[in-house]
Amino acid sequence: MLKALFPTLSRVRFMVQVLMLFLTVYGSVVVGHYLADKISSSLPALSCAYDQMNGGYCVLVPTQHMVSHQIGEAVVRAQQLTLQMVLPLLMVFLSFFAFFFVIGKAFCGWVCPLGTLQEWIGKIGRRFHIGVRRFAPGDLGDIRRVRPVKWLLLLGLVFLLPLLTGLGVTPHSLGNPFCDVCPSRIATTLLTGNTEELALRIDDGWKFGLGAIANILIGFTVVGALALRLPFCRICPLLAFNSVFQRLSPMRLAKPSRTNCGTCRICTESCPMDIPEISKEEGRKAYNEDCTLCGRCTEYCPQDGVIKLKWGSFALFSSSREYYKAKVKGELPDGTVKPVKFVKNAIKPASAATDAA
Amino acid sequence: MKLAVQPLTIAMALAAWLATAALAQHELHAASGQSAAAARPGNERIWTRQPLLLPGRTTRGERSSGTLIPQGIDAAHVTVFAAEGPAEGLRVDYPVDAAGAKIASVTSKIGNYHWVVAREETPELVKVASTAWYFNNPGNSPKDMLAIPKHELEIVPTPLPRERSRYREAQKWEFQVRFDGKPLPNQPMLMETEFGSRLPAVTDARGVATVVFPRDFTPQVAGAGDERRRAGHFVLTTEKAKDGRRYLTAFNYQYTQDPERNRSVAWGAAFGVLGMVAATPLLRRRKSSTEGGSEHA
Repeated sequence: MLKALFPTLSRVRFMVQVLMLFLTVYGSVVVGHYLADKISSSLPALSCAYDQMNGGYCVLVPTQHMVSHQIGEAVVRAQQLTLQMVLPLLMVFLSFFAFFFVIGKAFCGWVCPLGTLQEWIGKIGRRFHIGVRRFAPGDLGDIRRVRPVKWLLLLGLVFLLPLLTGLGVTPHSLGNPFCDVCPSRIATTLLTGNTEELALRIDDGWKFGLGAIANILIGFTVVGALALRLPFCRICPLLAFNSVFQRLSPMRLAKPSRTNCGTCRICTESCPMDIPEISKEEGRKAYNEDCTLCGRCTEYCPQDGVIKLKWGSFALFSSSREYYKAKVKGELPDGTVKPVKFVKNAIKPASAATDAA
Repeated sequence: MKLAVQPLTIAMALAAWLATAALAQHELHAASGQSAAAARPGNERIWTRQPLLLPGRTTRGERSSGTLIPQGIDAAHVTVFAAEGPAEGLRVDYPVDAAGAKIASVTSKIGNYHWVVAREETPELVKVASTAWYFNNPGNSPKDMLAIPKHELEIVPTPLPRERSRYREAQKWEFQVRFDGKPLPNQPMLMETEFGSRLPAVTDARGVATVVFPRDFTPQVAGAGDERRRAGHFVLTTEKAKDGRRYLTAFNYQYTQDPERNRSVAWGAAFGVLGMVAATPLLRRRKSSTEGGSEHA
């Protein structure tokens, strides 16, 4: 029964994503209306606080607020930085880590609502035979040139600007700049039928500018995701934030050695983040900062036991030749799916009837 | 030596500039950071005869205390109910003086919503003014606290706006009317706002009345200052007679303007479309990518 429902790791992940999308966007119907009832206000996924129906919200929200109000403003009042001011921020990080420890960066690949939406748009692109675009030499260029963007956004929009705003250097409108440019804010609120976040503030120049960037990003993401897998994740500051802690969670991607690896690069081809290191490197370097622990490289590795999804010393999923052969019959590494065989199912009863006769 | 002093001088000058700029901005905030409506000139005018608990001036940074001014009710004290904390702090009376009642959260570390009530009682009349106060610290949700009966006749928000949020113009919210802790069906209720709206409502079989907040902010208020600070007061009242005694209960709180007033969906959609157009070059078919996909078929 379980085998029929969840024949592949991808199917398990799909079901988890459906559940998590519901929980992160409409979760208040389960956990309750008040913030105090939410799962957490420090989730390692872009679960938006502007969505009034959500079940918990993203760690970057309290981080920006704490940096701006708790640290910046407190420093101005007291003219010094004390442990008392930093303590609430440390508590936010501790709360974040309590969740992050359990499944690590799988929050990106399995839980994040914006990641899920981008993946589903990508599936539509594959269905309509829109060719996959990659950050790779000969196509969109080296992925390593894009990677610093997420770190710059993390430092600039989550820490620096809120701090400067708290210190009174930059305008009050720049107190939570990442939320203002975050496309997940628009996507998740639209999913609840609320157009308020799509609309731009026209009474505040800074808010108008930041909101315009967010709307451009969501527009780009919706169309771009048809061809380029997970376009926003590549510059997501939460991915950078999660990467800081990725070695501290037992959940990880493991590629202990390359002895069996045929360097076929199918793992990189299957990777929605176009990570070349998974095929070229081994050990710590194979588990790259861009990895979202989606597990596709493990599914598409044609060698037994070369790539593993591990929690501590337990291998949760391990690559195998047999699994690979079965997997590519339904879906190619780049996500292209084989045509749905309606006829096959339609014929079954007839053949069964013949057998019975 | 000269080289060592120069960065220090620059750093000190930068720090001094930062502090000056910061203090200037914070003084600006402090001036406008009072409890929204209380800071607005002319707010002192009487806009209803119903009993009210109005927020007084607060100092920026005060997270565990506040001031409430009773209006239209003669109460010696206000009672603050908390959702959690030590037993002796779950219900505390605070005296009312000329400046109002200075109230506090159950402890300096526990915040969230607290329920505040003032009561005036004569042999003929029991008058109750009630409101909610949000203390900006973590704390339990008010769900269970609101469920506990506190007076004979009560108006209970089901629910209150989510923490750090408010009622808004044009939104639909539900309020339950209870008598002796039991829902009161077919009970008339009246909503009044400080901008002059008067809207009747009647409770259903569950004792719940649905109220649509009127879109009645005046252009002067709607166009002034920070979006979050544009707030107005409303009050819901209901009354019932029993055994020769009249019970009059009010719940007042604040609501803010409809955010659509100063937002533009058209601009938002235009920039969204711009993003979509910018992404279309990605959709051009590349020969190599289709070839790459077929080798595993």
